Amino acid sequence: MARRALTWLILLGIVVILMALASAMTSESGVRLQGFGWLLWVAIGGVFVYAIYFATAEHPAWQIGTREVVYMAIGAALYGVFSYLFNGTVFVVPSVSQVALRPAIVFPVFFGYVFGPAVGFFTGAVGNILGDFLTGWGVFPAWDVGNGLVGLVAGLPVVLGRERALNLLTGLVAVLGVALSLWALTTEIQSPFFGGPLSPLMRWVPLIAAALVVALRFALGRNIALASVIVWGAVANIVGIGFAAIADIWINGYPPAVALLGEFVPAAGPNILHAAVLTPLLVGAYNALQQQLGRGAGVA
Amino acid sequence: MLVAWPYRRRGSILEAFDPRARLLFALSLMLSTLFFWDVRLLAGLWALALLYFRLNRLTWRETRRAWMLTGFIAVVFVTITFLTGRGGFEVYRAERVLARLSLPVTLFGWSPAIHLTVERIFFALSQFCRMGTVITAAILIPYTMDPTQYGVVFRGLGLPDKIAYAMDLAFRFIPTLGRDALQTMDAQRARGYELERVRGGPLAQIRRLAPLVVPVTLHALMTAEDVIDAMDLRAFGVGPRTWLTELRFRRHDFLLLGLAAALFFGSMIAAALGFGRFWTP
Repeated sequence: MARRALTWLILLGIVVILMALASAMTSESGVRLQGFGWLLWVAIGGVFVYAIYFATAEHPAWQIGTREVVYMAIGAALYGVFSYLFNGTVFVVPSVSQVALRPAIVFPVFFGYVFGPAVGFFTGAVGNILGDFLTGWGVFPAWDVGNGLVGLVAGLPVVLGRERALNLLTGLVAVLGVALSLWALTTEIQSPFFGGPLSPLMRWVPLIAAALVVALRFALGRNIALASVIVWGAVANIVGIGFAAIADIWINGYPPAVALLGEFVPAAGPNILHAAVLTPLLVGAYNALQQQLGRGAGVA
Repeated sequence: MLVAWPYRRRGSILEAFDPRARLLFALSLMLSTLFFWDVRLLAGLWALALLYFRLNRLTWRETRRAWMLTGFIAVVFVTITFLTGRGGFEVYRAERVLARLSLPVTLFGWSPAIHLTVERIFFALSQFCRMGTVITAAILIPYTMDPTQYGVVFRGLGLPDKIAYAMDLAFRFIPTLGRDALQTMDAQRARGYELERVRGGPLAQIRRLAPLVVPVTLHALMTAEDVIDAMDLRAFGVGPRTWLTELRFRRHDFLLLGLAAALFFGSMIAAALGFGRFWTP
């Protein structure tokens, strides 16, 4: 399996590089490769998934046995049923965009966080398909993959180790914050909201945010159980819903601001809240159940 | 009855085709559209999608809800893109202004105005046709795919046995879990649970879902243990799996598959050669 993953990783990497080259080489005359953006984006997503898999292929969470098959099926079915229930059949929850407010997002996050990225991905992707099947709204592959990524990313602490995963994430945010601030301080950027040059204070915002995240990590010390669920639920939604919303820039031709403010923010924002409140409750209840049954591994 | 799949047999000519071929054709239609921004080509693709929709004997009446919802979203997003400026990443650069519309009010020194340009109008039209094609292909899948065949369809498309079986199992769990969810809801209501009451902040409202979500999930996970035992006792996953339904491609299926492949790869090559780029008169 690991060898196959490496083959795919290399193949997808070549596609990404070739397309980026083709686009760069044709840009000078003002004629770019048109209509291929979505393919490039999908290939980048594929590289991301295969790279994670390749790096952690040894971990038992990637082994699909009977237990995982049943958890996948139950997770997907729960996600499908609850998406259907909350999508205006039993409870009407109003929404501003095509992405209904969905408390059901807790299922890919919970199943990923407890049973690992493979179960999480399946729960998200197939559960979303099932939900859309039940409502009859149609199958939209970019959103299915996006929901799958929510489960996959939520499952990363399982394969990386919970404390290491949180440290890695803190490091990543810190590096990103420093890099963004350095970039903003050294280049002329137009303000995306008001036009004109970016105000000096705004240039420091990424650095301040990164410092806050690092401080929070140290404040937590070794007491990471709750933080881990909440943080990974949020990151999972940012990556997964972000993937689908950004894909719509090429799929539906939205300007980036519309994709971000019209799809990403209204979907990812409430999703993060739902995951942050409901996942810890589910994890706690599941641990209690484990102790009663005396089977399966509990979750820290 | 809580859960009802929108699929039913409609006696259409396409039901004689292998479900894999039909699924791939719908996907090919969806993806081929994404290579183009020329409204003439996109309108043609949409017409093809609608023809395919019609050949499936789908009626407006049964798909109305899906059309209304997705159509509404398409109109809203096309309008927002039109109003907020240049949509589509680098599809066009220069704009020819036809008119400038502005509101006679000023908010903090900014007066709302839009430039009505040829490019924007044609971009909106292309965008609408593109979304229309994707939506048409997306809607017909749940109405024409038999849920009982999902596992075997995906097995036939090359997914491993276990994943395909997990899909099959997920479809089978739906009615049971749906019933559990409604029963739990009734049981909690009998204890004074009020889900629909809109009070308290957003966090309090989300927490109100816990008495419904937690018991249903835990009950499902307890059931899972029995299912795992039952499957293990029957030596699940030890050897290759056999499926109740066997799918075989026949001659006419290859025709549809060929059409799907020709459409997708033809579109890809055409786009790489520069056909179907953004067009304005």
